[in-house]
Amino acid sequence: MNALYAYHFVSLFLLALGLYGFMARRSLVGMLISVELMLNGAALSITASGQLTAADGALAQLSSLLVMGLAAAEATLALAIILVVAKRFGNASSKTTSELKG
Amino acid sequence: MNETMAAQFLFALYSLIIAAGGFLAVSAASLVRSMVGLIAALFGTAGLYLLMNAPFMALMQILIYVGAVAVLIFFAIMLTRGEDGEGSTSALGRLVIVGASLLLPLLLGLVLFKTDVVTLPAPELVDIAILGKKLLGEYVLAFELISVVLFVAMAGAVVLGFERRDAR
Repeated sequence: MNALYAYHFVSLFLLALGLYGFMARRSLVGMLISVELMLNGAALSITASGQLTAADGALAQLSSLLVMGLAAAEATLALAIILVVAKRFGNASSKTTSELKG
Repeated sequence: MNETMAAQFLFALYSLIIAAGGFLAVSAASLVRSMVGLIAALFGTAGLYLLMNAPFMALMQILIYVGAVAVLIFFAIMLTRGEDGEGSTSALGRLVIVGASLLLPLLLGLVLFKTDVVTLPAPELVDIAILGKKLLGEYVLAFELISVVLFVAMAGAVVLGFERRDAR
């Protein structure tokens, strides 16, 4: 068992937890938290691949920095959408927004 | 205690923090508690970055995730009265969800163990000056694009949250 596999195992574990939370959670904020877990695992996996193999370490670190920036942008937008949903429907559950008007 | 053993011990410790925090993040009934779990997992990941000789990434992890994203999500929880909805999933439904969430990680894990990669014995430190030069030289397009994405996300959030005077 080398170190690369160990780091990737941790990031796969984060992916599994995030997927579980994304499906099991009923509130939109809970789903957002699960997405953050998954993105965190992705950044960890990218950095581990760059630092522990012959690949360019700088490229890997900058790529996971990009993932972190995307996570921040996604959290901002998701927060705004959740606020609008909570204002319109009274709560931020995924069940309340399951029907289209028409 | 030699270096390898210390590294293994720290890896186990950080993984344990990540596992405990992650479980709390996806299973706690109160969203504030699940947020605390997420923050613990993020700190554990920062520890792993330190362990693989990337202190800049560890710092950014704490600065961006714990400093910015976590505060944002706390705002979302506070503004929506954070509880995780009523009703619970049946035992069978929970089992189906666990199976579905394990499918993709197991597949990726299989791919990982099938591939044979030559790994370095010890990760080497990338100087922060090199990172800065690459960010403004080789990867300047990605750098500018992420700035634009962040700006658009921020402007979009303002537009979404903006309340018109003559609403409804």
